[in-house]
Amino acid sequence: MNGTEPLVSVRNLRKEFPIRKGVLSRQVGAVKAVNDVSFDVARGETLGVVGESGCGKTTTGRTILRLIEPTSGEIRFEGRDVRSMGTSELRALRRGMQIIFQDPVSSLNPRMTVGAIIREGLTIHKLAEGAAADARVRQLLQEVGLRPEYSNRYPHEFSGGQRQRIGIARALSVEPKFIVCDEPVSALDVSVQAQVINLLEDLQRDHDLTYMFIAHDLSVVEHIADRVAVMYLGKIVELATAEDLYREPLMPYTQALLSAVPVADPHARKERIILQGDVPSPANPPSGCVFHPRCHHPAKDAACASIVPPLEEKTPGHFAACIKQPPTTVSWEQQREVGGVHPPERYLPLAAVHA
Amino acid sequence: MPGQIQDSAATRAARPRESPFALGVRRILRRPSSRVAFFVLGVIVLVGLLAPLVAPYNPSAQPDIVRLKDLPPSFAHPFGTDPYSRDVLSRVIYGARLSLMIGVLATIVSLTVGVAYGAVSGYAGGFLDAVMMRVLDAFLSIPRLLLLIGALVAWPRLSIGALVVFLGLTGWFGLSRIVRGQVLALKHAEFVTAAHALGASRRRILWRHLLPNLVSPIVVASTLGVAHVIVLEAGLSYLGIGVPPPLASWGNIIYDGADQPAALWWMSLFPGLFMVLTVMTLNILGEALRDAYERR
Amino acid sequence: MTAPLLSIRDLHTSFYTESGVARAVDGVSFDIGAGETLGIVGESGCGKSVTALSILRLIQPPGRIETGSVIEFEGKNLVTLGDSEIRDIRGNRISMIFQEPMSALNPVFMVGDQVAEVARVHAGMGRRDAWERAVEMLELTGMPDAEARARQYPHQLSGGMRQRVLIAMALMMKPALVIADEPTTALDVTIQAQILDLLLDLQKKIGTSILMITHDLGVIAETASRVIVMYAGEVVEQAEVDELFAKPHHPYTEGLMHSMPHIGHDQERLNVIPGTVPAPTEWPTGCRFRERCPYSWDLCEREHPPLYQIGSGHISRCHLAIEPERRNNPHPPLVVEAGVAAA
Repeated sequence: MNGTEPLVSVRNLRKEFPIRKGVLSRQVGAVKAVNDVSFDVARGETLGVVGESGCGKTTTGRTILRLIEPTSGEIRFEGRDVRSMGTSELRALRRGMQIIFQDPVSSLNPRMTVGAIIREGLTIHKLAEGAAADARVRQLLQEVGLRPEYSNRYPHEFSGGQRQRIGIARALSVEPKFIVCDEPVSALDVSVQAQVINLLEDLQRDHDLTYMFIAHDLSVVEHIADRVAVMYLGKIVELATAEDLYREPLMPYTQALLSAVPVADPHARKERIILQGDVPSPANPPSGCVFHPRCHHPAKDAACASIVPPLEEKTPGHFAACIKQPPTTVSWEQQREVGGVHPPERYLPLAAVHA
Repeated sequence: MPGQIQDSAATRAARPRESPFALGVRRILRRPSSRVAFFVLGVIVLVGLLAPLVAPYNPSAQPDIVRLKDLPPSFAHPFGTDPYSRDVLSRVIYGARLSLMIGVLATIVSLTVGVAYGAVSGYAGGFLDAVMMRVLDAFLSIPRLLLLIGALVAWPRLSIGALVVFLGLTGWFGLSRIVRGQVLALKHAEFVTAAHALGASRRRILWRHLLPNLVSPIVVASTLGVAHVIVLEAGLSYLGIGVPPPLASWGNIIYDGADQPAALWWMSLFPGLFMVLTVMTLNILGEALRDAYERR
Repeated sequence: MTAPLLSIRDLHTSFYTESGVARAVDGVSFDIGAGETLGIVGESGCGKSVTALSILRLIQPPGRIETGSVIEFEGKNLVTLGDSEIRDIRGNRISMIFQEPMSALNPVFMVGDQVAEVARVHAGMGRRDAWERAVEMLELTGMPDAEARARQYPHQLSGGMRQRVLIAMALMMKPALVIADEPTTALDVTIQAQILDLLLDLQKKIGTSILMITHDLGVIAETASRVIVMYAGEVVEQAEVDELFAKPHHPYTEGLMHSMPHIGHDQERLNVIPGTVPAPTEWPTGCRFRERCPYSWDLCEREHPPLYQIGSGHISRCHLAIEPERRNNPHPPLVVEAGVAAA
């Protein structure tokens, strides 16, 4: 992956949703759902994106695909600028970038047969017609582990796990290179989750796919992702390989997140970092570091409320946005100028580490 | 084979594949009230369709306006005769044909306009939607009956075709609201986003994804709409501005006997009875349809 | 051995639907002791939520608790109690916390009023007293600015705060038992941690028992002292929490534990329990897990396994108890017809 161009490249992506009030629907504010996000996804890798509700991970996924139009920023797929594409170019692009959804119920049109659902991509992009299309549909069904005879049936006749498989087959039908997996297993039972996760991994191997795997379940993400980005209130606050992140989380939010995951081991340490309060509203994010009101870092001070921490490399390949975790490019002088009293110091609570 | 799914035999509920439509029909017919309504309506429709074969007399024939007029119900004339000595039973039968036809055709007109208007407004959203809805509000503020009476008084002696068009063009407002609401909700459904992600054009999404999912509310609204038009048409004919004589419609028959309602009681009772039956069965079926589709 | 607080014997709850009779809870028995936290774990369709609803007689037609079921609590059988008597118990001696706080709260009343109502109904308190007590309770649940929050409406609160309101409502009358049905499933992970912590803390303060129903083994490990595993309407395993995680006996429990990814355990591929849960209208004969089980043999088809005693306080509904050596010969899953879920 070194030296080759990333498959997907995102720079300074922003998406704001206007808040309208009044009879004339005047804009009074904006929800900064995605607030200056930048990352690359290398060919063949799985980038995990985790965060809690309201962090902007789903919006980021859909904005990359231009299912939601970004407010500003740059998106590149195979080096080409996605934002400037016209309608027909964009349609051709859709073959390369696909998406799998969270809700198995609402993501399939209840009035179409399974076969029609899967065939639609082939029809739109003129990839196959008639008998050839039927054959391809049957082949796709088999690949996702469903019997080919099912193409005549309707979605309501299937279970949640089977419907997700249908959604996966639909995404695969246009032979994409990149798939945004938007919480694909969150709505499924544990044992069915495992089936679908294994399927996604097998398909990745067989078709050389690249995934952006969005989830809130940290254990699932750790299992499937190569690198993980942690999002909070529209920003990426940490980015590292899965191993590094889980072994040494640097950003205090990540530490709290990891310590909050219930561990299926009664003997595991019960000490935990409990965050105070709720996630602030994305319409009114805190100043400076958006996490500072709830942060437990011992060096937290007034500087954190003024300075927006850059996402910077702390150890090779491991990025975190925290001016109190050294090394940092925000100098101590700069911090003192805005009221900083505690110099940066490395802090890694045991409660956050999963050995 | 990657992740081959295997379900237990027990989960195969052995029910053959069923489209959502078939599921709905089955549910409706399960209720005894719906079965009866279906049967009764079926009979009335059949009678109307086969009017030339079923009616004992020519509905326009006036055989003897001196001795055969205003006869109460008898064996020869089960529903009596009218002031022009026409057989009321035959007129009621032909009336079924005409009234139902007007009801259905007018509803088709309403459907076409209403669905188009509502779907475009809902799908477009934003400014266009706001404008279209305000225009609709203006239309909705005028009572339908008043609108019709105004139009028909301005153009008396209309052909049936024109009557159908007028009825249709005054009846689409509520339906377009319903359709717009459904489209607004569906626009954000994930399967619509999925189609978008596959590269579907807006037109394709509208036809392939949105409209088929509008069928249920449309069918329900139409069934009730037909009932409404039948009543309206009867009312207009009773006022003398509906179906032109000598054609027979249920309202017309009542109009003909309106001078002496008590003496010529059979001229309001029988058409009235049929109207009530038709409207009731249509309403029952419409409600059953709504319940059946909403349960999903 | 002190008498249990709640004792369920042979509970059968069925739903009489168009597609047949669904025996959602098919012969479940267990006890809950005073002050303990009992966890029920299982996936969708196993009957755990229906069991919880049955305890408080919240089953609506076409569902029905079958005669012969006994739920003994404070000397009475809850199944046969009269309507007003069971209402006396709900919210008062036994209360419930639901999964979706938004649907459990009335959107047109202030949350303070909803919490206070519990005291007004059960303790006959006046408005002012009940309100004060409600605010106290909300403070106890760690709600910041409780007095002000009590005057807000559900839609103005976040998910975590709404859940605190539900907890306050559930604990107002200091009940002997709180049934928590997936109380944190709809919440973010950091909020979940707060809520679970709160529940355990309040349990210590008030001394209530908790019946924790969830599909999340991690939540069970952190909160429960004893665990029941349910599958297909039955109890399939029961043990102390340490024992269950260290030595799961039933193949379903085993499979469940191995199909979850664990942070820090590097797994190439997740273990999968093949197949799906059978439909409650057609429970298979013999062992209900047989077709998905890697160890089953002909006995499993012939005889529905009873609950075998495995160790102290550890029971398991599996014939492996009498032929444990079969565990060394797992076989590929039984070939079954791939089918579709019941509509």
